[in-house]
Amino acid sequence: MVEFTAVPPAVPVLAVALLLPWLSRRVGHALGALATAVVMAWTYLVPAGAYLDVTFLGFEAVLFNVDGFSRLMGIIFGLIGTAAVTYSYFSDAENVQTAYALTYVGTSLGAVFAGDWLTLIFFWELMAITSTLLVWDYGGPAVRAGFRYALLHGIGGSLLMAAIVWHYAEVGTFLFGSLGGVDHAAGMAGVVPKVLAAVGIGVNVGFVGLHAWLPDTYPRPHIAASVFLCVFTTKTGVYGMYRAFPDGHLWIAYMGGAMAVFGASMALLQNDMRRLLSYHIQSQVGYMVAGVGIGGALATAGAFGHVYNHILYKSLLFMTVGAVIYRTGEENLKKVGGLAREMPLTCLAFTIAALSIAGFPGFNGFVSKGMVVTAAHHEHLDALWYLLLIGGVGTFMSFIKLGYYVFYHGERSHSVPDANRGQQAAMLSIAALCVAYGLYPDALFGILPGHGAEEAHPYTIPHIQEVLVLAVIALVGFFLLKKPLAKLAGVPDVDSAYEPLTFYATRATVRFVTETYAAVDRAAVAAAEVAMDTARDPRRVTRYLPGREEIGFDPEQGHVPMDTTIGTSVLILTVVLTAVLAVLLV
Amino acid sequence: MSDVVPLLVAVPILAAVAALVLGQWNERVSWGVAFLASAVQVGMAGLLAATVLGGETVRYEVGNFGVPYGIELVVDGLSASVALLVAVVSLGVLVYSRVAGPRTPAFHAEYLLLVAGLSGMSVTGDVFNLYVFLEITGLAAYALVASGDSGRAAVGALKYLLIGTVGASLYLLGVGYAFIATGTLNMADLSEQLADVGYSDPLVLTAFALIVTGLAVKSALFPLHTWQPEAYASAPDSVSAFISALVSTVSAYAIARMVLSVFTVGFFAANPVAQNIVVGLAGLSVVAGSALAVTQTEVKRMLAYSSVSQFGLVVAAFALATESALVGGTIHLLGHAIMKGGLFLTAGAIAMATGARHVSEYRGLASRRPFLAGSFAVLALAMVGVPPAVGFVGKWYIALAAVQAESWFIAAVILASTLLTLAYFARLVERMYFAGSPPTAPETAETPGPTTDAAVADGGSDGGDAAASTAVAPSIVALVAIVAVSAVALGFVATEFAQMLEQTLPELLLP
Repeated sequence: MVEFTAVPPAVPVLAVALLLPWLSRRVGHALGALATAVVMAWTYLVPAGAYLDVTFLGFEAVLFNVDGFSRLMGIIFGLIGTAAVTYSYFSDAENVQTAYALTYVGTSLGAVFAGDWLTLIFFWELMAITSTLLVWDYGGPAVRAGFRYALLHGIGGSLLMAAIVWHYAEVGTFLFGSLGGVDHAAGMAGVVPKVLAAVGIGVNVGFVGLHAWLPDTYPRPHIAASVFLCVFTTKTGVYGMYRAFPDGHLWIAYMGGAMAVFGASMALLQNDMRRLLSYHIQSQVGYMVAGVGIGGALATAGAFGHVYNHILYKSLLFMTVGAVIYRTGEENLKKVGGLAREMPLTCLAFTIAALSIAGFPGFNGFVSKGMVVTAAHHEHLDALWYLLLIGGVGTFMSFIKLGYYVFYHGERSHSVPDANRGQQAAMLSIAALCVAYGLYPDALFGILPGHGAEEAHPYTIPHIQEVLVLAVIALVGFFLLKKPLAKLAGVPDVDSAYEPLTFYATRATVRFVTETYAAVDRAAVAAAEVAMDTARDPRRVTRYLPGREEIGFDPEQGHVPMDTTIGTSVLILTVVLTAVLAVLLV
Repeated sequence: MSDVVPLLVAVPILAAVAALVLGQWNERVSWGVAFLASAVQVGMAGLLAATVLGGETVRYEVGNFGVPYGIELVVDGLSASVALLVAVVSLGVLVYSRVAGPRTPAFHAEYLLLVAGLSGMSVTGDVFNLYVFLEITGLAAYALVASGDSGRAAVGALKYLLIGTVGASLYLLGVGYAFIATGTLNMADLSEQLADVGYSDPLVLTAFALIVTGLAVKSALFPLHTWQPEAYASAPDSVSAFISALVSTVSAYAIARMVLSVFTVGFFAANPVAQNIVVGLAGLSVVAGSALAVTQTEVKRMLAYSSVSQFGLVVAAFALATESALVGGTIHLLGHAIMKGGLFLTAGAIAMATGARHVSEYRGLASRRPFLAGSFAVLALAMVGVPPAVGFVGKWYIALAAVQAESWFIAAVILASTLLTLAYFARLVERMYFAGSPPTAPETAETPGPTTDAAVADGGSDGGDAAASTAVAPSIVALVAIVAVSAVALGFVATEFAQMLEQTLPELLLP
């Protein structure tokens, strides 16, 4: 099986990305879809182990590390890459945009298959860059959002890098502790690296307070770009969180619960369709972060199962909403309505995706979300358990809202055809997978890492009851709160506070620094001139007299700074020698 | 294989005579002779390096006089690398000088003598023989600087001659003290005898002080650098490129050789003060050289002061005397030669093309001479230590060594030097790329395009402050671009080179 492990899976994807701008749209996208499909099959087949260990600047690095976790990430990244490239082709994405998207996919693959922190941070930063380029490629308001996105990820990446360097100082190697032959425990070592890593990765997964980039950036680029964006950054973040905290941490678990509730509540208040979905990324990632934070086999397996399922239904949601935007040109759900008749297949796909994200029995979200919630219950983290349930209610409510306004409410707003054939194919195949994994969870359990899947029993009566109760509460709640909710739109998020704050603080800092620098500079220059005038050979003054010019002296340049005469040079030499002799001999 | 070693010295000396004699008959032949000799030199040095980096040290007894009485030539990984560098750089600069001049037979003869002296310094295993080659190198270099044919060059060369001679004499005095103490001049023998005499013996300490101070003059460490900026700035462009790349480099190599092979790390262990003096002098040189470079208005002087700073870094690395420090010092020594030689070549080409010799005249150069400005910027950034260029690798290893040796002073100095290097090169890059062309400059007649600076002469001078612009031969632009590319490319092979070096270096570090 050597040939499987000769290169990391990122390589073919990146190679196709580099070729893409020179190919025709059809061939390029076909190659892109093929490369990602190959990655999926390849990561499924490749045996576990660490391959391609190399030495970089004297540090050991592993470029292709396969275990249950990275395998799962590779499979789903490849699968969704194929679907998203197909969707891009049929949504009129330019070659360059898909090329950026594929570099983004490739760097994400590089990050999840890294076997050491150095490689991970390398691809992590590249991922931030490539995703920024993907956003920028669309132009318009996406550019400014892209800047804010890049800035925040730059800060997050630097914090993670600081954590990694400190971790290295503690254990003496960059390799993951989970690799064979590495003698430190898996995860970050020491308190400070843990805090730094949690906050740094927290930017990527959208911790409450650090999440503003998410709803800010994802609604703005091309609809196909959103499909890519919603998958890779946050999920790689969850993966990184697991690598840093393989045994979990209570605070992280509660942060996950807070994200679930906060994201769902903010989503409920949104009218921009893709912005609403973006808040739901935060909310759903909250479940995964909670799963990682709880720790233990069941919760970890649940978290990664949720990563897998979430990628399926969230990209499906972005595809269906993208199809609506593609046909109607409207971003706001108040401006569309009654589209169920016009776009029946899109409506069907949306319904499946919405039921999946809400965790309705029979759909894939039910299985994995249930695993995390059950794990919280088993560990007697009651507060967290309630948070996750409330988040579930919020999810139900906001998807009832989205579906209701887009597909049912009012007269039909647009007379438009349904999504085109290619978009339908991409959407329906993902929708089929959502249902399949919901009805037959063993297919998912087979590829989940660890033994947590054995503890999962999704289809039990109390569990189903629990979800149905949540659904009913949500349904009733939505129709009670419909009117007040409509008036609450436009509630500010944290970014409305910190964006002006950062702006003015930066401006103040820059002014302070430049003014200080200028003052120091003036003082230093004045001091240096005085010193040089004093030190210089007094006879040089005569050179400034008119009518005198000497050899070796450039009148155009005035004096030559710090130029010494031969005599002075020999004097200096003597002094230095004397000093050295004196110090050595005395 | 060992027969090649004396040929490294003999071939250029014989060729120097041939170039001088044949040049009387036809001036052009002398360049051909020099080129042929340099090409042969590259071949021999390459062969030698390939053998030595395989792990074998080559020794040769001159005239079959037995060691320790006769002169011995010794080539290990360090000296083979330096000898190869000398050969390659001299070939490159020779190609440049064919276009840029000087073209007289005397120049070529002096040039080849300098090559002989430098190669001899690299391969000799005898401290007095080192002095002889040091003087050959010095005399040839003084003469080459003076070949600038201007009053300024004459003054620069005179200053170089006087101070350089004092430095060489100090070295000779130091050798004398060592000889009195031990009765031998062979490096390997000397290192054992010195240990027997005792490292705290006043004779030995005095010898160390004289030798290090003398060689520090030659490699232009602050504050003994005073000859160097004027010598580099006043010499013809080919000469400044050549001596800036090699003369101080080989002198720094000589410091390393004396410190590590003759006095050995045992001497430092017994006299930590001696180590501190060298490290302190080198650190001071790094900071002061950079600070002086920032204040310069003339580009070549700025580059000269930059050398003061960079050699401080190299000598500091050798004085730290750990394995990574040696690797880093060697890589930076070789890398600096390529980068600094390239920068002087580029500065010369820019002066040829536009007459610009001062920082202020580099305004808007990027739009007028895109290739030259681009090469200059690449080399400058490589010198700053932007990865993956070779400048980064050297600094990285030195910084690593400083941290490992817990020498926080040097670690801080490296950081500061990177910032200061950035400061003076950023000034130029900013002028070239972001400042507009000077309003008084003559309007150029060239059409914008990537090949213009090679092919098209732009309009003449308007008689104002800007000098006339002339065409630059494509070969020069190509050469400069090759140097810039190789400064980056070497960064990729530097890690492998480091691994090869690590096999040959440890024996230098045995106490």
